[in-house]
This record gives sequence, C-alpha cells and structure tokens, in this order.
Amino acid sequence: MKIELKKFGEILISRPSGREAYLAMKAYLLKGLANEEKIEIDFNGVKVMAPSWADEVLTKIVHDYKNVKLLNTGNASVQATLKTLKEFSDFNN
Amino acid sequence: MNIDVEKLAFKFFVSEKIDKNSEYYCGTRDIFQARLDKMISFLLAKDNLKEDDIYIISAITGEIGNNSFDHNIGSWVGEMGIFFAYSFDNNKFKVVLADAGQGVYSTLKKVKPEIKNDIEALKVAFNERISGRASESRGNGLKFVKSNIKDRGMHLKFISGKAKVELNKIEKIEEIIETYQGCIAIINL
Repeated sequence: MKIELKKFGEILISRPSGREAYLAMKAYLLKGLANEEKIEIDFNGVKVMAPSWADEVLTKIVHDYKNVKLLNTGNASVQATLKTLKEFSDFNN
Repeated sequence: MNIDVEKLAFKFFVSEKIDKNSEYYCGTRDIFQARLDKMISFLLAKDNLKEDDIYIISAITGEIGNNSFDHNIGSWVGEMGIFFAYSFDNNKFKVVLADAGQGVYSTLKKVKPEIKNDIEALKVAFNERISGRASESRGNGLKFVKSNIKDRGMHLKFISGKAKVELNKIEKIEEIIETYQGCIAIINL
C-alpha cells in the first residue's frame, strides 16, 4: 500500500487536520490490511509539514504497522519534522 | 510605508474594541491556515528567501499559531483567535503571532503543578517533553520551533505573562516588566 501525502494537501500543519487525515486513511486506505503489510508513505509534493500534523498520522501508522517505508523525504520541513518526532514522540522508524 | 506589525500585535488584543475585520485577525484555525497558505505563496513568488527557509519558517509559524487554538479552545481569556502578520523590511522577514489566551504558565501548571511562575513555564515548554493537554501524548511543537530557529539562524522572541524567551544560537529567558496576557511570538529571518 502506498500513501501519497500530497493527496491530503501540500501544507500539513495542524493536529485536527492530521487526525482527520489519519481517520480517512484508516477508513479508505488501510482498512483490512494486516499489521505486517508493507506501507509506503510518499512525501513527494509536500511543501510544509509540521510535527503536530505528522504526530497524528505518522506516529500512529508506525505504531500500528511493522513494515513502514518513508519515500521522498527531502523537503526541509519534512526532514525537520521527522527529526523532532524521533526525539520527542513515540516515532521509531 | 512599512507597517510595524510587532507594535500592532502588542496592541491588538488589549484594544477596547478589537477589529475583527482586520486582515491580521484569524478568529478560527481555518482562517489562520488560509492566511498561512497565502504567506507561503507570497514568499515563494517574492524569491528573496531560500526555499528551504520558507518551508521551515512556515512550519514554525504553523506550530505556534495552531498551539494557540489547541491550548485555548474553550478557555480563551480574552477574545478568541489569533493575530497573525508578516512583513519585509530591508530584506528582513518578520512574522508576528499573538493571542489573548491562558498563557504558557496557566496551561502547564495543570499538568506540572511544581512550575511556579512564567519563567519556569517557558523553560519547561521549550526544553522538556511535556504536553499541556495530558493525557494526550503531545508536546513536541516548541522543541521543533527551538531546534529549527537555532539551525536556520533565525531569531525568536516569545513572551507569555511576565516572561520572555529570546532564542537564536543561545536561549535567554528573563522576567519582563509589563505583563502580556496570553502569548506573543516574533520570528525574524
């Protein structure tokens, strides 16, 4: 399963929108997938990401699925957000 | 003529009659998000700043602005919403955000009662993994802000209650004479 984050927007910053995105993913994209299924999260096209949004989405996906791969993480705010999640949230990927 | 957005921010929520039609007033999170999107488009079109810096300062602005809504929903002390403005002056970019919410001390003492004042509250907020919205697992936003202000050579002045933090390569927290109800943040790049 590949999740293209740009389909949730180019500017991903707030917790409520992150929570909404995660619920939509659970309902439409991740429904029925076993927890060992490979999940690819593609950051291509994301311009701005902040840890509040990411914590509501990425931390939960990594918690729920064992085989998560992050693609196209070159954007500066994506890199900075992933660093913060690793240091201050339960994000282990 | 350049407008002094910092001065406007300090006055905005203490005015007798708040100008809710102001282009700087964001009564809801949706309005803030729309104006932040516009700021990003403006900066990308202007071509004065590095693209990476635009994305990072936008993420920092998003974190601080959304914090105001996250931590004051149902508990605004003054008018609901935030002041959000930005300006270019002599090729220096400035973002200003302000709210009339509870402030950092009131928020954090509920989850860490040993915090005794505004200065201690700012120290904790910028340095410890703590969430003002326990039992939710949060509390990474201001650490993100601090780290990226430092890494990108930006400057942040953040005031809440009777305390001020100045951040760039170093962090300086001190008491101020005048109290500010809520939070005010000034980011310079």
